[in-house]
Amino acid sequence: MKQAVIRLATGRPRLVYSAILAATLVTAALMLRIDIDTDPENMLSADQPDRVFHNHVEEQFTLHDALVVGVVNSSHPEGIYNMRSLAAIHSLSSAILQLDGVIGPDLMSLAVSDNITQEGPGTIRFEWLMRDAPANESQALEIQAAVERLPLLLDTLVSGDGKAAAIYVPIASKDLSYPLSLEIRALADALDAEDDFHITGLPVAEDTFGHDMFVQMGISAPLAGLMIFILMLYFFRSVPLVVAPMLVAMATVIISMGLLIGLGFTVHIMSSMIPIFLMPIAVVDSVHIMSEFADRYRPKDDAKAVLAEVVEHLFTPMLFTSLTSAVGFLSLLLTPIPPVQIFGVFVALGILLAFGLTIVLIPAYVVRMRPASLQKLAARTDTPRPETPLARALRQVGSFAIHRGKLVASLAVLVVAVSVAGIYQIQINDNPMRWFKANHPIRVADAVLNEHFAGTYDAFVVLTHQDSTALPEFRQASTAMLDDIAEPHRTTVAQFIDADATEIGSYYGNLIAAVDDAMFDAADTATQDALASLLELAEASQLAAKYFQRPEVLREIENLQQVLVESGEVGKTNALPDVVKVVNRELRGGADSEYRIPNTELAVAQTLLQYQSSHRPQDLWHMVTPDYTATAIWLQLRSGDNQDMTRVIEALDRHLAAQPLPAGLQLQWAGKTYINVVWQDAMVNGMLMSLLGAFAAVFLMMTALFRSLRLGLLAMVPLSITILGVYGIIGWIGKDYDMPIAVLSSLTLGLSVDFAIHFIERTRALLRGTGSFESALTQVFEEPARAIARNAIVIAIGFTPLFFAPLIPYITVGAFMAAIMALSGVTTLILLPALMALAGPWLFPDLRKRGVFDAPPAAAPATGLKEIST
Amino acid sequence: MRAVLTLCALLVLVADGANAEPLTDADEIVARANLASYYAGADGRSEVRMIISDAQGRQQRRQFTVLRRNVEAGGDQQFLVVFSQPSDVRNTTFLVHKHVDGDDDRWLYLPGLDLVKRISAGDKRTSFVGAHYFYEDVSGRRPADDSHELLETTDEHYVLRHIPLDRQTVEFSSYVTWIDRETLLPMKIEYTNPAGKLYRRVEVLEVADFDGHPTVTISRVSDLLGGGQTDMQFRYIKYDTGLPEQVFTERSLRNPPRDWLQRPRSGT
Repeated sequence: MKQAVIRLATGRPRLVYSAILAATLVTAALMLRIDIDTDPENMLSADQPDRVFHNHVEEQFTLHDALVVGVVNSSHPEGIYNMRSLAAIHSLSSAILQLDGVIGPDLMSLAVSDNITQEGPGTIRFEWLMRDAPANESQALEIQAAVERLPLLLDTLVSGDGKAAAIYVPIASKDLSYPLSLEIRALADALDAEDDFHITGLPVAEDTFGHDMFVQMGISAPLAGLMIFILMLYFFRSVPLVVAPMLVAMATVIISMGLLIGLGFTVHIMSSMIPIFLMPIAVVDSVHIMSEFADRYRPKDDAKAVLAEVVEHLFTPMLFTSLTSAVGFLSLLLTPIPPVQIFGVFVALGILLAFGLTIVLIPAYVVRMRPASLQKLAARTDTPRPETPLARALRQVGSFAIHRGKLVASLAVLVVAVSVAGIYQIQINDNPMRWFKANHPIRVADAVLNEHFAGTYDAFVVLTHQDSTALPEFRQASTAMLDDIAEPHRTTVAQFIDADATEIGSYYGNLIAAVDDAMFDAADTATQDALASLLELAEASQLAAKYFQRPEVLREIENLQQVLVESGEVGKTNALPDVVKVVNRELRGGADSEYRIPNTELAVAQTLLQYQSSHRPQDLWHMVTPDYTATAIWLQLRSGDNQDMTRVIEALDRHLAAQPLPAGLQLQWAGKTYINVVWQDAMVNGMLMSLLGAFAAVFLMMTALFRSLRLGLLAMVPLSITILGVYGIIGWIGKDYDMPIAVLSSLTLGLSVDFAIHFIERTRALLRGTGSFESALTQVFEEPARAIARNAIVIAIGFTPLFFAPLIPYITVGAFMAAIMALSGVTTLILLPALMALAGPWLFPDLRKRGVFDAPPAAAPATGLKEIST
Repeated sequence: MRAVLTLCALLVLVADGANAEPLTDADEIVARANLASYYAGADGRSEVRMIISDAQGRQQRRQFTVLRRNVEAGGDQQFLVVFSQPSDVRNTTFLVHKHVDGDDDRWLYLPGLDLVKRISAGDKRTSFVGAHYFYEDVSGRRPADDSHELLETTDEHYVLRHIPLDRQTVEFSSYVTWIDRETLLPMKIEYTNPAGKLYRRVEVLEVADFDGHPTVTISRVSDLLGGGQTDMQFRYIKYDTGLPEQVFTERSLRNPPRDWLQRPRSGT
């Protein structure tokens, strides 16, 4: 099979070229269908219960994603309460209302807020808070006085210190956030104002991230490619030798991404990183072939025959390194997060594709090389290589490792211990806002606004009341009353009693209307009386069903609001009791002592009827459903960090454990900040599963490859230490464990096992060949060790362009990629030989019998140790 | 002024019977439409059922009785609005003295809070108890608040465009009405916002004759942007019942005039 492939590749190079070119062009064309997805909600599958509930809540309370526009004035003594600032807020609000995609009726701004005030004794006044921009400074101060009496506005629309105002801009669709933020920015810039304008909010952060990510994809991946190209050129000093791997890498990246897009998957932040992950991995295999071919090929040799030999020789280790890397990424399927799964599958696919492409494209490439180039390649390898610093250092490393096995092993144990201690300090946390650098306008806006306001991050505590017995009891009782009702009223009323009661408010409303009509039409007194009783019962049941209109329930909500604010992470909560209290206070004369919930549900109902007689009656339904069976407490958080959100949830949980909610009352969380916590939990647990799964699979594969359980275990050592080390570092430096960090574990597994495979395989071959541990290890630290070191350096440095990315996740991946390569390179090259020196006879029982380990390693040359330690 | 209004009222009566020559003066059409819609009879009573639906079709109902008395035709009026449903707002009462010149006087009684308040409203375009109707739709917008232009006279309708004289007090930039040529009732009103979008429609779905007055019995207002709507059904309508002036005093707030609120046995 292998030979057939080689024959095809070397015999029909043009066919191979055109087939790969065609595949690349077709898949490149598919990329035009790209669909970017930056919605973190999609980190959860569409049927995930928390996501389903979150969407249900958004619909139930007509909540929209919103941009937050902040207007800050730090120079004026009255803050934003001055003519010019308020005029700016006023005209900006009006201009925003004209933009397409803005849900006008739900826009929140001083310019479209209602006010309720006292106008002389016994008179209340309903009016717009700021219908027109103030005409003088005293009018501006009147607005201040009004806002300070409206708890729903204070610290939401104007900061407590008066220095900042906010406009909440609800939008029809999340993917309008970025374009709308640009339009609003342009509107703000055109204003004649001295204020600073900031635009933030999770939707705009996410959508802007999507935009930047798209740009980043076009810059980072090619830059990484260029970097790898330059590095390989430095190591191999041959353009043709280096061009071939680059072709493989390009074809791999384009075909994989083209397939992903062509198959209809969205490009999520995870999948946008696929090119960057595939680029270095794809290069590695072809470097092995080209390198070995260059070693073996001599002038006048038959290139085809040498190639066949090389491929024959490298096929199995390459297949295994590809398979193990692929398994590492496929293990991401165990993480229940769709974008992560897609990422894993397509990287795995890309790795196998790179392997296949290497096997056919490289031979085809070599036979198409001009004889002159081949000669040059051969001549280059003929001339003895100068002693490079790398070669010298590797020899010393090898010597040190095998002679100071115990020291190395003890150091390894120490590293493990320190790493484990670090892992215990890992902070699991994420916040899409932190995906931007600290000086990004969005981060700046976020910091400024959350410093002034109670918070721009949303979460909702949703309380739902379910009384499973009330309706059946009502139906039974009311059906019993039907006997005394004459036809046709009886049939009519019966229909309404049995009608669908999903909307309990509509159910009772319709029934009561029908009974009321029947009472007017009914001829006989018996029917009249029965209908009157039925009406009374229906009205009582209707009132009882309006659970969140009850004063004692509103006080319970007040209590929860207080617990939430006392958790320390919540800047403010907004809920139904706040509305009731404000209207109650103003109805009762405006004294602060009247800022309370009235004592009867009738009083609450009538208070709310007044609230609805405003310019914005629909605002009520953001807090309670029209049937009063569900209510939402809106939490404003100053931080979108998952940890902070989690602390709030825990604080509420502790309270609920001590003081359970009344029976029939159900409490659930929703909101973007909460959803981020949910998917992160799924991610952390999922990644652990993925890691364990991949670990087990790779271990089995290693055992099969080496046909030895002991060598299988040995092969797992470098990657285990690397994973522990990397996460130990994360713990110690206090970097939050976030989405990109989580994904790195599988990458580590896939890449660092490669080094171990090559090292063990080559060592074993040399042990068998030389029959001497000392000389085998000396030889391993020549070409094989150099190959490993070069690969580690190429990949590590190949990722450095990511350091210049404006988006933090890319920087994180770049930095940790380098760390992973360094760590796994070092552990492979130092710890493996040390362990072989210590436990050689146990590791290679077959070789022990042949006396390979009889001569103990000679004492370490003093210089070697010195040089390494300096 | 009074003479003009009386003349207008007279003209309404004339127009009622026959299909006269089409009117051509926009102001005159508006004045007569105002009379037809809000001033039928010397007084009147009606029971109103409002079904307020949001964009998701979730409903709230309100039921109330309106007693109305014209101080003078086309001029000042008095209204007493007493709620009967839902039961938690029962006997909530509004009293309005509508003034053609100057602000209306409004009072409110909330039985649950045992509270009588005077209401001073900044403008009349606030929701009427949570419905898509504005307070102004219920009591009538003053013809003098807009400039009127007759766009077209069709077989059935006078089509007029109205532009507010004071744009600051309203949320619309203009509205167009379709006024029935025979009854002079506005059958459809469409509002355009400052962004140039049609955003609100009021339409009459059913008209019936009561005591010789063509009367709207079902109307609907739709929020064309948000998607909700409110239906109003008017029933148990009677005109010229002889409602005395003392029904429309503050005394009626705490003590609803039961006799006058009673549903007439021969109505529909």
